[in-house]
Amino acid sequence: MKTHHAKRHVVAFWLFIAPCLILFSVFFLLPLILSVGFSFTNYDGWKTMDFIGLSNYGELIKDIKFYQALGRTFGYTLFSLPFKVIVPLLIALLLCSKRVAIKSLGRTMVYIPSLLSSLVVGITINWMFSAEYGLVNYIIQSSGGTPLEWALNPRLATFVISFASNWASTGFYMVIFIGGINNIPADLYEAASIDGSSGLQTFFHITIPMLAPTTFLVTLLSTVNLLKEYALVQGITQGGPGLNTTFIIQFIFDKGFNQMQYGYASAISLLVMIIFALIAYFQFKLSNGGEQK
Amino acid sequence: MKKIAIFALAILLVGNVVFASGSQETAKAPKALKVMLSEEPSSEDALLNTLKEWASETGNTLDVMVIPYEDQLTKFPLMARNKDLPDLIATTRLARLYPDEFADLSKNIDISIFEPMAVEIIVDSYATKKIANILPQQFTITNVFYNKDAFDRVGLSAPTVDDPWSFEELAANAKLLQEKGGVKYGMAMDSSRARYDNLMYANGGSMVEKRGESFAVTINSPQNIATLEEFVRWNNSFMPKAIWAGGTTDNPADYFKNGDVGIYFSGTWNYNSFYTQIKNINWGVMPSPVGSAGPSAILGGSGLAVPVNAKNKDLAVDFLKWFYTKENFQNYLNRDKGLSSLVGVTYSPADKQVAEDYKILQSEVAKVTKAFSVDESSLWRNYYDNEYRDAMRQAVNGDISPAKALNDFAALLSKKSSWPLKY
Repeated sequence: MKTHHAKRHVVAFWLFIAPCLILFSVFFLLPLILSVGFSFTNYDGWKTMDFIGLSNYGELIKDIKFYQALGRTFGYTLFSLPFKVIVPLLIALLLCSKRVAIKSLGRTMVYIPSLLSSLVVGITINWMFSAEYGLVNYIIQSSGGTPLEWALNPRLATFVISFASNWASTGFYMVIFIGGINNIPADLYEAASIDGSSGLQTFFHITIPMLAPTTFLVTLLSTVNLLKEYALVQGITQGGPGLNTTFIIQFIFDKGFNQMQYGYASAISLLVMIIFALIAYFQFKLSNGGEQK
Repeated sequence: MKKIAIFALAILLVGNVVFASGSQETAKAPKALKVMLSEEPSSEDALLNTLKEWASETGNTLDVMVIPYEDQLTKFPLMARNKDLPDLIATTRLARLYPDEFADLSKNIDISIFEPMAVEIIVDSYATKKIANILPQQFTITNVFYNKDAFDRVGLSAPTVDDPWSFEELAANAKLLQEKGGVKYGMAMDSSRARYDNLMYANGGSMVEKRGESFAVTINSPQNIATLEEFVRWNNSFMPKAIWAGGTTDNPADYFKNGDVGIYFSGTWNYNSFYTQIKNINWGVMPSPVGSAGPSAILGGSGLAVPVNAKNKDLAVDFLKWFYTKENFQNYLNRDKGLSSLVGVTYSPADKQVAEDYKILQSEVAKVTKAFSVDESSLWRNYYDNEYRDAMRQAVNGDISPAKALNDFAALLSKKSSWPLKY
């Protein structure tokens, strides 16, 4: 027999989690359930919706363009990930150093791009890297060099998207790293100093290990965000040249919203979600969730 | 009794005053016409200014919403499902994709007032079902602009309506312009299949061919593969390749406006903005070149449609009745500087040069090919429009050969549409 106090405790529990539960259900669980349902149909986003069993999945495993888009996405993620983690870490270290003045201004300046919408980032990056009227090519030409074909060379086009993505997210990850750095006990550094540890030794043997949980978080978030890159690609290269920057989310979007194959797009989404979840799981396992072993 | 009679009279008088004024208010109460456009209108936008003129005349108000062309496919079904629709939509394809969602306007507007060609191209449903779920608004055609300054620099005269260039002459002159005409690119073309398809039709190709009541896929015909191979060579030689390879969001119209392009393939919808915006170069309009099978131009345009579940559907119809009077449409056309879709209404420019250009633009209408009409009637675009674009991008970028691009696309189109392959 529950006491009055225990009942009130249960009610309070549900009241506290209700907002989160409702939002999670409406914006995650419900779409997920719908997506699972759509993946077994030929839903066209309008009036056609017949049950077609596993046909979408059968078609998907034979779709060479799906594998190509997925491969490009992994390539882009592997290329960009080190920059996503290392650059904010170094900037955070710099902006936590006692030798650096006007730290607050520096942090604000680095953080500002994180506040911009992907559209604005795309416009800014286009302004810099446009093959015809871009600032970077103008500088190269003014210095007597040959302008680079940012829009025609697949590697350069991928680099531009990666650069834009890093520029726009560095501030956010820097803030996370600053939080981690500030939580490292000062007496560890004092002890290292007394023991005659050099700056590099302190960085590799104290700062890096103590930041492991933070680094894991940044790595995980960056990986997921890179795998899901969409808006920047649309704003900068629109998937080109050819299909060389058409990543998996563009591929899904194109199938669903442009070709109105919602059922097929749902099947791809589900498979991709499982792949992404597995990647996150292995990252978690490999780094022990950022905890010391 | 007398008191009751006076009281009753007073009630009657008061009631009359109240209800009479109420009904007058109802009749005169301004309403808001919710209009959906596909791009942010400029201050010179012909349709928006015409809408404003109507609003000012009738005392109604406008509520203009802009949903970009690319987003309309996702937003419109949601709006329709939630019954939160605009009253009037300026669109190129929604009425074709969702025909049941739009009111049959032939009940309100006499279709015979429109040019038959405009009805054939814009009002898809009229030929087969005698239903007009959209009415022609902007009637456009592909055309070619040229940079007069660059032509003068190399001593080149623009072709005439009676003596147009062949594709070979076009390519040779584009090369010449790039080498000696002071332009970065001899030629540029909008990244739109409609621009490229003119080359296909002019060389005798087509997307499909009619077979009884159905169609057969012909997009991978030998002449189409040859045309695409030539187009790839043009891109590698004197065109801004990134536009067609798809690695940029740049608009080649900007290149032309900046004087970086010698010959620019676009459409009549650009004429007005070029006329008002280009100040640093002299430019003109030239007839489109002729391929091995003759000339080709593609007609298109947007129309005005009224969703069946729109809240102020009647108000939208009122606007359309007002818009399609000769006087009001003439005013619209003067602002638009485009082709007329209304019989008996033509644009008569005061500017001599504009009048000359207009004659050339008008001459393009006769170049619309039968193959284009057949392709349009197949509604193939409903199947794989984007896949076609991707195939072209890959071919131009050199990722796959033109033959592979068209063969793969033909197979996809055939599978999706259930039309047999001819080649």
